[in-house]
Amino acid sequence: MEYRSQKIAYWYFAAALPLFVLQIFLGLYLAFSYTWTVPQSIVNVFSFATARAMHTNLLVLWMLLGFMGGTYYIVPEETKSEIYSEKIAWFQLIALLVTGVVALVGFFFGWTQGRPLLEIPQPLDFVVVVGALLFLFNVAMTMIKANRWTAIQGTLLGGLVFLALLYLFGMPFYKNLVIDWYYWWWVIHLWVEGAWELVTAAIFAFILMKLTGVERQVVEKWLYVEIGLFMFTGLAGTGHHYYWIGAPRYWLWIGGIFSALEPLPILLMLIDTMMHVKKRQTKIVNPLTWTYAVGCAIYHMIGAGVFGFLHTLPQINYYTHGSQVTVSHGHLAFFGAYALLNLMTFYYAMPKLKGIEIYDDSRGKYGFWIISVAMMLMGLFFGVAGVLQSYVERAMGMGFMTAQSYMRLWMGAVFFMGLTFLAGVLITVTDLLTIRPAKARV
Amino acid sequence: MTKKIAFWIFLLGTISSAAVFLWATWDTHRQVAVLSNADKLSESVVAGKRAFQKYNCNDCHTILGFGAYYGPDLTRVVQRIGENGIRFRIKDPEKALANSWRKMPNLHVTDAETADMIAFFRWVGEINNNDWPPQDSRKRLSRGEQAMVASVGVTPGAAVFQTKGCMNCHSLHGTGGTFGPALDTVGRKLSLEQIEHYVQDPKGANPKAMMPPQKELTARELEEVAKFLSSLK
Repeated sequence: MEYRSQKIAYWYFAAALPLFVLQIFLGLYLAFSYTWTVPQSIVNVFSFATARAMHTNLLVLWMLLGFMGGTYYIVPEETKSEIYSEKIAWFQLIALLVTGVVALVGFFFGWTQGRPLLEIPQPLDFVVVVGALLFLFNVAMTMIKANRWTAIQGTLLGGLVFLALLYLFGMPFYKNLVIDWYYWWWVIHLWVEGAWELVTAAIFAFILMKLTGVERQVVEKWLYVEIGLFMFTGLAGTGHHYYWIGAPRYWLWIGGIFSALEPLPILLMLIDTMMHVKKRQTKIVNPLTWTYAVGCAIYHMIGAGVFGFLHTLPQINYYTHGSQVTVSHGHLAFFGAYALLNLMTFYYAMPKLKGIEIYDDSRGKYGFWIISVAMMLMGLFFGVAGVLQSYVERAMGMGFMTAQSYMRLWMGAVFFMGLTFLAGVLITVTDLLTIRPAKARV
Repeated sequence: MTKKIAFWIFLLGTISSAAVFLWATWDTHRQVAVLSNADKLSESVVAGKRAFQKYNCNDCHTILGFGAYYGPDLTRVVQRIGENGIRFRIKDPEKALANSWRKMPNLHVTDAETADMIAFFRWVGEINNNDWPPQDSRKRLSRGEQAMVASVGVTPGAAVFQTKGCMNCHSLHGTGGTFGPALDTVGRKLSLEQIEHYVQDPKGANPKAMMPPQKELTARELEEVAKFLSSLK
């Protein structure tokens, strides 16, 4: 830690971690519901829908906290100055947490906008917007005052502004369901395959540069090419969600072609990570942080790149759309691209924020391997269930519940992988919150 | 490659893709009214959408394929289980799903809200969305017809003839109704194309015809039943 105000990042990370744990508990309830019968009396009070709203909103909340914390950690070092206002940063953290808790409790009592992933009711949306504006103001003012612009900073700020702007499209009530889904994807797709990728690419480039000691000029050059490809494939690639919603037929072409190219920037990111690691100018001090960095690059490629590509072409998507195949891709992609990125950031920054140069990674190692393997298997099991569903329900037309009965075994396997994943997450979260210096190596 | 060239790659990549995307967005807005039958977006349909959101239905079911995957897709739910089927499941999920290992909450939806939701689902089912989902495709035979083809071994056309109620008026080999003519040898009189035309628009073919036009048949069903009838010689 070089700047006093970086300390605020620690509290963003510390707030994100328990939410991550809570997200997994709700996920387990969902997997349980898919496999076994939840009695009517419980379903009436706590339905799958409520749990799902919580599961997905917790994901967004903890990841955004991670991104914001990451930003507050990186910006002082990049601008070589303190954060513009620590008070705003504190206020905004508390406001976001309170909004999140109110939203979660609200879901339980049926207070919802009723649109998947965007369930937060409109009045709370406005609080979120105010919080986001304060955050952007704080970050932008720090950069403007310091006036030491770098590509990493620019990408980070650009990604965050884009992220906040897109949120607005998810707020109104749309009368026409086709238009509703059209703009729903401006939030969901353009977040995860646009704005979030920008933020991720910037954070990743920063940590890679710090870890490997590779020259800034080289890192930032690749950063430009990567975000250029992310934008080129990701913007028009939104079309892969417009095949079956009642939009014009040419979306099959636009969506198919652009989204088929979406793995390219991820592949480039993987290649340049490997290159930088190979040509490192520094010693590997904390091996676990490096493991997370390389693991994130590989998992990002598999989950988002490969699993996304598999069902992005309209000829295949006609049968897999809205099945467990989507769920398989969703879990692997979010975990690979964003969960691992955040955990890497936490492992990079949290020890430093506590003044620990070399941390003890004996527990953390197990955490990494357990969550990574458990999620990979979970993704594969979802995938098997999804292929069965596509074949039995869609291609054969044998009915929804018939297909579900064939999938039951695999959803049960998902539940047990979820339990394993939970164990890994508990180890990781405990390790991060109680990180300690390594015993002196002999 | 220099950093400057890399920056231009970023700029051009972003601008070109954004241009395609924004143009297509503008054009989609131009076409969406026709594709989604926006003229039929009545107050009841919009109220139905509000109710659909109010009860968070979309976090268990998909519609147009989006949402959660816990319950069946609702895009063509009216065509699949009919208005009464929907009403029964919303009002009495305990009874409707008594024998199912998956449950649906009783959300105490009012009758008016249910009626609006049905209007909403009916409107969604008519959206021109490239014939998705495949299990409810208009190009495919209905569940009952498929079962008959598989279990009894009749031709698809015969299955349509049997399940779509043709025999309420017409007969084959003395079985069936007497309100319309027997069709044992209809293939001698009419060709496949003529039958297709007749079934769709009886009065157009024969001004004295009493038969109502069969608008419920899908293109595939019409083709199959005409093939079957034209073979009766």
